[in-house]
Amino acid sequence: MRIILCAGGLLLALHAVPASACGHCVEDKVAAVYDHAAAQQAFARKQQVAFFGIDGPLMLDEQTRRDLEALARGIPLVDQASVRISLESASLSVAFDPRRASFAQVQRALERKLESKKLTLLPLRVMEGPAKIAQPPQ
Amino acid sequence: MYAIRKPPRLALLCAALLMAACKQIATQADDPYDIGKMDLKPVPAKVTSERHKGPFAEGNALSMGAELKPLDPAPVKTVRLDTTHKIIEIAPGIKFSAWTFGDQVPGPTIRARVGDKIRFSMTNRSDEVMPGVQFVAAPMMHSMDFHAAMVSPQDKYRSIAPGQTIEFEFTVNYPGVFMFHCGTPMILEHIASGMYGALIVEPREGYPTKADREYMVVQSEFYAKPDPQQRKVDGQPLYVLDGENLKKAASSYTVFNGYLNGMVKKPLPAKPGERVRLFVLNVGPSKTSSFHVVGTIFDRVYIEGNPDNQFRGMQTVLLGSSNSAIVEFMIPEAGQYIMVDHHFANASQGAIGLVDAGEVKPKEKADLEHHNMPATATPTDPAAVQGKLDFESKCLACHSIGRGKKLGPDLLGVTKRRSDEWLRKWLATPEKMLETDADAKAMLKEYNNIPMPNQNLSSAEIDRYMKYFQWVDSQPIGVVHSGEGGH
Repeated sequence: MRIILCAGGLLLALHAVPASACGHCVEDKVAAVYDHAAAQQAFARKQQVAFFGIDGPLMLDEQTRRDLEALARGIPLVDQASVRISLESASLSVAFDPRRASFAQVQRALERKLESKKLTLLPLRVMEGPAKIAQPPQ
Repeated sequence: MYAIRKPPRLALLCAALLMAACKQIATQADDPYDIGKMDLKPVPAKVTSERHKGPFAEGNALSMGAELKPLDPAPVKTVRLDTTHKIIEIAPGIKFSAWTFGDQVPGPTIRARVGDKIRFSMTNRSDEVMPGVQFVAAPMMHSMDFHAAMVSPQDKYRSIAPGQTIEFEFTVNYPGVFMFHCGTPMILEHIASGMYGALIVEPREGYPTKADREYMVVQSEFYAKPDPQQRKVDGQPLYVLDGENLKKAASSYTVFNGYLNGMVKKPLPAKPGERVRLFVLNVGPSKTSSFHVVGTIFDRVYIEGNPDNQFRGMQTVLLGSSNSAIVEFMIPEAGQYIMVDHHFANASQGAIGLVDAGEVKPKEKADLEHHNMPATATPTDPAAVQGKLDFESKCLACHSIGRGKKLGPDLLGVTKRRSDEWLRKWLATPEKMLETDADAKAMLKEYNNIPMPNQNLSSAEIDRYMKYFQWVDSQPIGVVHSGEGGH
């Protein structure tokens, strides 16, 4: 019974997304975690910004946000101050140095950390410089 | 002699079927909504990192204000609406941090005809520093969602980053008055910050009637709070988006064309005997409008701006968020016809405007103007001086001093007609007084049910108004009168 109630609660929580865009568009998810100032700082350091969709059971509460931020910041490959998470749009962005790690390596490192939460990442876009948003390398 | 033979039954049946089929084919051929004739194959959108550096809004099909330009006959409308972040004034002294299309709120109105192609481009210029103002919101991604288009949102309505440009085109297939808005999350914030406008699509054969005046009226809400960092613009406090009240739909202002009582100060001109056509769009983001014009009846209402959706003889048209209508009415005689959201909580927040068809001069007023009035005196008490300035910037649209009634009463002698306590309450919470106070209720009835708006005055501001009104009433009769501000 408790499992059913929990599942119902989770469904309700997922359904009760605040008024926002449809959330299906890749750019909506990117826009939700795009921070202009953080992106400018990253480009000044010759970093790139990686955008990911988050897939899996996601509770829309502040604790979940803090947990995910802490997990992402714990990865040496990403710039700790650059981590941005939108639970409503289920997306995440981080800045990384392409000379030290590839987009795919950053994704794998993040996914290893998110495994404990049963979450996986969908590669969305990579921003290589001001106004330069591209498909991530396959 | 020839015998008249009856036609065989089968032949009659065939003829009837043939006639029915022909009629069906003719009906389909005339159908203005024939999907087969619509352009439903727009080319893919193009996103580049090329920044446009010219004007923020360009195109022959654009009208920048309430007065609408006639339809540009070109079958392809090239339209540019860049996004900017800038400070706009939404009420006297209320400087609001807005996000825009075409550098204005509402965005310019686009006008086209069924079958026209809209060739649209937009650069996200939210990262550009606007002249003289440094307090705009942080640059962010933006997008464009045209309700008039039939396209893939994932392709055409993509969010673009500052410095990027998106270009796409579409054909307008249905007549109407359609909203456009930014569709980037949180949409609620983007619309409440000013990112909206109207695209008018005329029927292929034009409207059934001929109008003498055409105006665009966009109703919207603002949710503003003083900047927590207490920054100022031109000496006035900066206001920013109030996120908490936005989610509760508890607006600070509900306005026509982006400004509190804006079309009271700048009425829409008309003349007696003319037919006025208003294109009315409620962009919300969260409130419904009961649009009404005091003193006339809507001869025709085209719901959503499509003449196929016609009503006759309506008093009010109900518009949900992103609903529209074209309303047409005759101006019967000289006078000022008051546009209002008849949901008066909205009207009291500023959703009031005027169609000005010339002034009706009461006899006593005409007589007054034949006298040589002495120059108006000025108070010396600093509080009264500030009260006078406040009155002239915020109240003149609806009130005069010594010049007769306007939308509200002449305030000459008001401190003698009302007690201090009554006036203070009235200035602080007029909406509560209207619920409980008999005098307030009577006044509302006398002034065409147009309520006094709550101006959110502080007690210090009310003190200054009181000082000014008391000073006015202490002067000899005929010495003090307000200027002809307002309408």
